[in-house]
Amino acid sequence: MATETPGRDESWYGAGEEVDRIRGAAFKWACLGATLFGISMVFVLLLYVAVDAIRPFSADAGWYLAVGLAAVVPTVALLAYYVRRDREAGWVGATATALPAFCLLVGSGVAILVIEVFPPHEWFAVVPALGAVVAVWAVHQRVRPDPVEFERFGVVALAALVAFVGVPGAVPSLEAALQSALLWLNWPTMMLYSFAGPIALATGILIARRHESRRAGAVATTLTFAAGVVSILLAPAVGVDDYLLVVVALSVAVPTALYAESVLRSGENVSGLALPVVAYVGIAVAAVVVETYGFTGPAAWLDWEFLTEPHSRFPQRAGIYPALVGSIMMMLVIVVSAFPVGVAAALYLEEYAPDNGATGRVVSIIEMNIGNLAGVPSVVYGLLGLALFIRYADMNTGSVVVGGLTVGLLILPIVIISAQEAIRAVPDSMRQASYGMGATRWQTVRNVVLPEAIPGILTGTILAFGRAIGETAPLLMIGAAAVVFNAPGAFTEQFSAMPRQIFAWSSEPSAEFRHGVLAAGVVTLLVVLLSMNAAAILIRNRYQRR
Amino acid sequence: MSNENVTTSDTGTDTDFQTDDDQSIASPTPGSEAVETGESTRTTGATHTVIESRDLDVYYGDTQALQNVSIQIPEQQVTAMIGPSGCGKSTFLRCINRMNDLIDAARVEGDLLFQGKNVYDDDVDPVALRRRIGMVFQQPNPFPKSIYDNVAYGLKLQGRTENLDEKVEHALKQAALWDEVKDQLDESGLDLSGGQQQRLCIARAIAVDPEVILMDEPASALDPVATSQIEDLIDELAEDYTVVIVTHNMQQAARISDKTAVFLTGGELVEFDDTGKIFENPDNDRVEDYITGKFG
Amino acid sequence: MSDASADDRRAEREDRDRPAFAGQNRVRSVKERAIEWLLFGCAALSVVVTLAIIATLLFDAIDFFTRVSPVAFFTGTNWSPKIDQTYGVLPLLTNTLAVTALSALVAVPVGTASAAYLSEYASDRVRSILKPALEVLAGIPTVVYGFFALVYLTPALRAVGLPVSTFNLLSASIMVGVMIIPMVSSLSEDAMSAVPDSLRQGAYGLGATKFEVTTGVVIPAAVSGIFSSFILALSRAIGETMIVVVAGGMSPKLIPSLFESSQPMTAAMVQLASSDLAGDGAAYQALFAIGLTLFVITFSMNVVSNVVAARYREEYR
Repeated sequence: MATETPGRDESWYGAGEEVDRIRGAAFKWACLGATLFGISMVFVLLLYVAVDAIRPFSADAGWYLAVGLAAVVPTVALLAYYVRRDREAGWVGATATALPAFCLLVGSGVAILVIEVFPPHEWFAVVPALGAVVAVWAVHQRVRPDPVEFERFGVVALAALVAFVGVPGAVPSLEAALQSALLWLNWPTMMLYSFAGPIALATGILIARRHESRRAGAVATTLTFAAGVVSILLAPAVGVDDYLLVVVALSVAVPTALYAESVLRSGENVSGLALPVVAYVGIAVAAVVVETYGFTGPAAWLDWEFLTEPHSRFPQRAGIYPALVGSIMMMLVIVVSAFPVGVAAALYLEEYAPDNGATGRVVSIIEMNIGNLAGVPSVVYGLLGLALFIRYADMNTGSVVVGGLTVGLLILPIVIISAQEAIRAVPDSMRQASYGMGATRWQTVRNVVLPEAIPGILTGTILAFGRAIGETAPLLMIGAAAVVFNAPGAFTEQFSAMPRQIFAWSSEPSAEFRHGVLAAGVVTLLVVLLSMNAAAILIRNRYQRR
Repeated sequence: MSNENVTTSDTGTDTDFQTDDDQSIASPTPGSEAVETGESTRTTGATHTVIESRDLDVYYGDTQALQNVSIQIPEQQVTAMIGPSGCGKSTFLRCINRMNDLIDAARVEGDLLFQGKNVYDDDVDPVALRRRIGMVFQQPNPFPKSIYDNVAYGLKLQGRTENLDEKVEHALKQAALWDEVKDQLDESGLDLSGGQQQRLCIARAIAVDPEVILMDEPASALDPVATSQIEDLIDELAEDYTVVIVTHNMQQAARISDKTAVFLTGGELVEFDDTGKIFENPDNDRVEDYITGKFG
Repeated sequence: MSDASADDRRAEREDRDRPAFAGQNRVRSVKERAIEWLLFGCAALSVVVTLAIIATLLFDAIDFFTRVSPVAFFTGTNWSPKIDQTYGVLPLLTNTLAVTALSALVAVPVGTASAAYLSEYASDRVRSILKPALEVLAGIPTVVYGFFALVYLTPALRAVGLPVSTFNLLSASIMVGVMIIPMVSSLSEDAMSAVPDSLRQGAYGLGATKFEVTTGVVIPAAVSGIFSSFILALSRAIGETMIVVVAGGMSPKLIPSLFESSQPMTAAMVQLASSDLAGDGAAYQALFAIGLTLFVITFSMNVVSNVVAARYREEYR
């Protein structure tokens, strides 16, 4: 009855485990500390660079008061309310607030392209030519609903040829004809018809589909077009070129309006729309107050001039504009080249590739190879670009095309791998259903697999693009210019990109460059990167909740 | 088209099989009371064979999934295939429309004829074959598209887009789903309940007017109410289509099918006959053991 | 009744222009084949890229080795291409090794500890904050890390009392280490999470503490995956260019000095590329020789990492 084994009954309770508990706790906190070490170091550094770039301490107390009371406090209070009471509405509000800002960035990017690369008369010629091709396709679909296999493809290709290439030497292409014929139209009108027009049409079609009413569509089209006209009229007041304002205003207004409309139509979480109103009205009020009372805002290095001026020896006047344009153009090359090739490769590897047999072995070699390519240092890709494109293919040193292709090759494995994952995530039962109905492989891919996989593909690709925009080493190898004073006007011209410019500035010894201009450049790059990542994550979250 | 036994007689007095339960008492096998054969107004008698297999062997890698299966499936009747799990019923089903092609390791020997033509001949296009044979799977798998687009999918694939609205409506009516969804054709097919989704898949399959509908355990993932709705549906479908259904639910097979094929371990087709005969008085002892629950 | 309708149905179906399921539709299969070949071409492009990289590097490197003997290259202790035309790669190698070792000192413990915390201790809410935060680290461009090292870290180190010069090895290495923390942490965490819960339960059932389970059961079980993450991260550190160029300086020393400027292989490549290069000069080709060395090192490390990782995946089949 009494315990015979001495010492046995006291070991599982009592104070004996103190040491264990202390050791366990110490380990846990040490691990947490380690996790927080890297994170906090980087976030502190980010804070430092933001402060250096924006210099918040140089602003008036009055400025802070105005901005704080009018904009920050109400917005934060509303946000806190959403977090507490109505999470869903909070998400809607956050999206509605972030959307105009994000669209502003994108719209500015497009505007930059219009300024530097595609002047309005080129744009104006391209759009109707494109429209003509689309019209041919639509008519063909109406007239011959059941064509022979390649007939539609052939007809459309022929139309595209006529529209854009013409017959060399004999007949000018439609696009070229339009370019020369319509030079007497002024730029705003051109922009209005070739930019606002198609967007208004597309918006109208979207709204008509959503509401199942032609009238609603017509209303939407008219409103959008009217917005374009209004922005032209308001341009002198805002101080921006009118044809540019059309681009920017529509880029911001149309997605925001569409989103607001969808929220209102579904009737859920409409209260969330209060957040953007509070935020933006607050900012407007703050701006008015600041103007009236003459408060000085922060003497930021990152100001409008920084974004629109080229480099200068004088830090006060140095800017990042040409590098910004170069980055945008390079991204355009990458989007056009790496994205389709990467998605096509991923489709093959996931949908078409056999698992065994001779081809199966080739395919597994390809996959292993892609994995290894993802681990090759970026300098080596730069060497590849140097040898392949510049020495062998004799392209211009440091041109946008070479830079885009080289960095495109660098991110190609990443695009392929993430697209593969997205395609793999499509449930097999859908494919079975489609095959069971007698769909060919391409029909299944096009109608079932791709639509399901597109959000995942987009997320992974946008993240890959974020990597591309920050790459410097390959650009150094292919001879991208350290400093350009003019933005590149064509894709074959030499260019500089944001990270390249940052690197060039880092060799300037003066403190003003280091802590001012350089910081502003870094913050610009990080803001672009942040918005891309945020967009990717939003896409992933929105489509994952389905 | 080779016709074996087409003697389409006037059906008037042909034996309606199993019109009342008395007939089933002829020689009751122990435990057979547990299995009731249902009523069927379809006539048997000599009918056209739509699917025939001769000495069909199927291997997955080194494992043999079907052994020497020879069967003649009649037109416009419900043929059930029953047996314990893993006996090759689904494999056989998937051979009919060559869905087994999608599995790399599958190997088929022997003949499988659809409308008299061997589906494994070199000049056969599996895609075209599958457009004449519809398939419904165990787990309902509607596409993440609207109900309308789900039903219209097959028609659009084949380019048969005239009168699309009517065809969609007709298919949904035949699948006994029209009344429930006619006001929400634009909503996603995934928003429906399990039973509705399966009926949507059936509507999708019949929209293209196939000759044969293959069903692989179509009700096993559904609750009893939905199951009985599907069973009623199958009964009606047989008026217009040939239905081949795999099921592990013996009572279901007995309720709805005209003919039953019993597969046992190793992919062996042990007996194939009228449903009544199989469940009341099977020839094969192993079938009797299976029916009465001695194993399986 | 149903027989008659069977005939009707059959007749109805044949009236309609049904394509036979045999012997036709070549055109459709031509289109399908064409698409398949197009997609295959895109996938095979990756192999072309690898071959191109190898060919490019070999081509000029071999040319280089006809001018400068491989022995002199791989054992020479003086790297001075412009002034002395000497191409001894040893100083670059030791500098690279130093950067890698120092960054490992930072990343390996921090990364593994983070992985252990996230996988074993963190609640879902905490994990949902910390993991994205680590992703942020992974997304920052390396040139920005270089900027951080040069403009903020070096002065901070100086403020702490370390006698670092403007460009120094220590600052750059620490930043490289911070940059690769997310790689170690996320891959190791994957490895640890993949350890089946039954193992943990078994250990708890025997009376082990959480600390003992984590260090004695989970980490040893995941060691192949953890180890492979180390190799991958180090391979990344070896190939890292911008941080060391911006913060580390341009003067290689055979015995690397923590507080002074240095020049690993990647930085030397940048320097060669930025200087005026004659197309066929030895300096230009030296670029490819170093590139080849770098490629071989990182490629073999990646292959080893894959092999090690595959071994761990097999154990839980």
